[in-house]
Amino acid sequence: MVGTGSSVQRRPVSALIWLISPLVLAVCTGTAILAAAPDARVPVAWCGSSATVAVALASSEAARRGRVIAALRRRCTEQEAGLRYQLDQHEAETRRLAKELLPRAIHLLQRGAPTEVVLRHTLPVHDLEPGYAAAHRSVLKSVIEAVQAEEGLRDAAQRAFVNIARRMQAIVHQQAYDIREMEHKHGNDPDVFGDLLHLDHGNALTGRLADSIAVLGGSRPGRQWKNEIPLYNVLRGAMSRILEYRRVDLHSVADVAVVGPAVEPVIHALAELLDNATRYSPPQTRVHLTAVDIQSGIAVEIEDAGVGLTDEARRRTDRVLSREGDLDLDDLGEAPRLGLAVVSRLARTYNLLVSLRPSAYGGVRAVLVIPMDLITASKHPGGDIARAAKLPPIKSKRRPGQKIPPPAPQTAPPMMEHPIPPPLGDSGLPQRRRRRGPAPLPFGRGAAERRERPAPPAAPAAPEEAPKQPGMWLAAFNRGINGESLEPDPGRANSDIPSDKEE
Amino acid sequence: MSTEGPGSPTAPGSPDRLYILTGGQARAERKTELDLVTLIVSRSEADPGLQPEHAAIVRMCAYPLSVAEISAYLELPVSTLTLLLTELVAGRHVEARPPVPAAALPDVQLLEAVMNGLQKL
Repeated sequence: MVGTGSSVQRRPVSALIWLISPLVLAVCTGTAILAAAPDARVPVAWCGSSATVAVALASSEAARRGRVIAALRRRCTEQEAGLRYQLDQHEAETRRLAKELLPRAIHLLQRGAPTEVVLRHTLPVHDLEPGYAAAHRSVLKSVIEAVQAEEGLRDAAQRAFVNIARRMQAIVHQQAYDIREMEHKHGNDPDVFGDLLHLDHGNALTGRLADSIAVLGGSRPGRQWKNEIPLYNVLRGAMSRILEYRRVDLHSVADVAVVGPAVEPVIHALAELLDNATRYSPPQTRVHLTAVDIQSGIAVEIEDAGVGLTDEARRRTDRVLSREGDLDLDDLGEAPRLGLAVVSRLARTYNLLVSLRPSAYGGVRAVLVIPMDLITASKHPGGDIARAAKLPPIKSKRRPGQKIPPPAPQTAPPMMEHPIPPPLGDSGLPQRRRRRGPAPLPFGRGAAERRERPAPPAAPAAPEEAPKQPGMWLAAFNRGINGESLEPDPGRANSDIPSDKEE
Repeated sequence: MSTEGPGSPTAPGSPDRLYILTGGQARAERKTELDLVTLIVSRSEADPGLQPEHAAIVRMCAYPLSVAEISAYLELPVSTLTLLLTELVAGRHVEARPPVPAAALPDVQLLEAVMNGLQKL
């Protein structure tokens, strides 16, 4: 009756306990047999031994049952521990699903990973029983599918937006092109021209809106510029896209250019900031626009004299401007925040720094920093127009060796150059007639040596000639009438008249 | 210039629009005598503080140029140019000289006769 189980300390005790009662009974029986009268000994012995046997049987049965109970209890404990362990694992896995796997899956999905990749990246770490693991996978999978469907819908909506914006941009560009043509065509008629300018402006505003939609849809704004554009023109380009550009004062501008790919984003971001500045300041106040060199690039400052930012508004703008990740369209609200959201997105894409701070005037001072790598040296400060300023030398290239003639030959001499002078045109454009006469000559006889003569030597003579201009035509006229050679006069050596003489 | 057709995504040019050059005006407030054949000549060197277009005109007009010529060189419509020139004239940067009226010119044949007579002397 010695226990053989694992609980060594309890078993022998319980087994011994069951031995006590048969032993006590056996001792009592023996004592009773000895104490009984000799003739009663046999029945006493019978009774005693049968009682002892019965008690021993009962005891052994009790001991056996005790053993069974102990075994059962042991198994029960083991089972309970196993279940508890499983429960812990499940709980840990569910927690991990909520805290780690789902966020990671959604993050992966938002970055466009396919379902399989997402599932592979979100495998459970604990070894779970198959049924539970399968249920887990299916939960994850259905969530992933739902999110993917949602993302797809969002993508499709954004693509649709961008598509519409692109078409609008195309129409606006075409229209701007047409308007520009018309502006040149009707440049002489101030009434039509004024209306065309008005249309051009409206068209530019529409274009900015289309650009904003494209930017919010995750695309780039508008057209792309191949060449760098001087900052001055970039700033004026930004001004031309807001409603109240007349209120913007363009002050000192650093003499640099913006590289082609960054031109449109900078123009657009500045246009949005300028729009905010003019929109939220009283109509009679001015908005100041400057661009200065700083260590890390160029800082464009827009300062208005408006109501300024409340603390709450500033927190909100800072939040919009510094928002990482994707834009929440629900968050945009009304128009002003739309502008800031566009600026914020452009700034993030092109590494522009934008900050809105209170201005000394009480309004807002918006600073946009264009980093050094988007800045280059300006080839033509002032842009195309300033480049056109070098055109007179080009003209002298066309007519080598000849300077732009003073006004005298433009009026009087032509009349005398022609053997049969053409009647004065009713259009009153005498200088055009003059050109028809002598202009081809320099390219004919005697033109070669003039062509050798470089244009630059002629240029320095220009400033000293200029002051004499007002009276010169008369002198030239007189000399022309006198028929004298003009060679001795160095300033006029190349004018039309000597070329006539050579003829 | 400032825009292109939808076909070409990149184009040279300038992002400026014409109305920016003149502050949105299409005609001068006061009547000017500038027309296509008015001659423009600068009175001074280009001032660094001038708007690039103004500076360009001042530099170009070191020699007299007609409004039509300036307009062609700068590729600016005459109305815009007239406004720019009006500002320059008002700021005494350039001087505008109307062309000699046709009626004031002496008769060509008379001049020719005079010239021939002088040459025969």
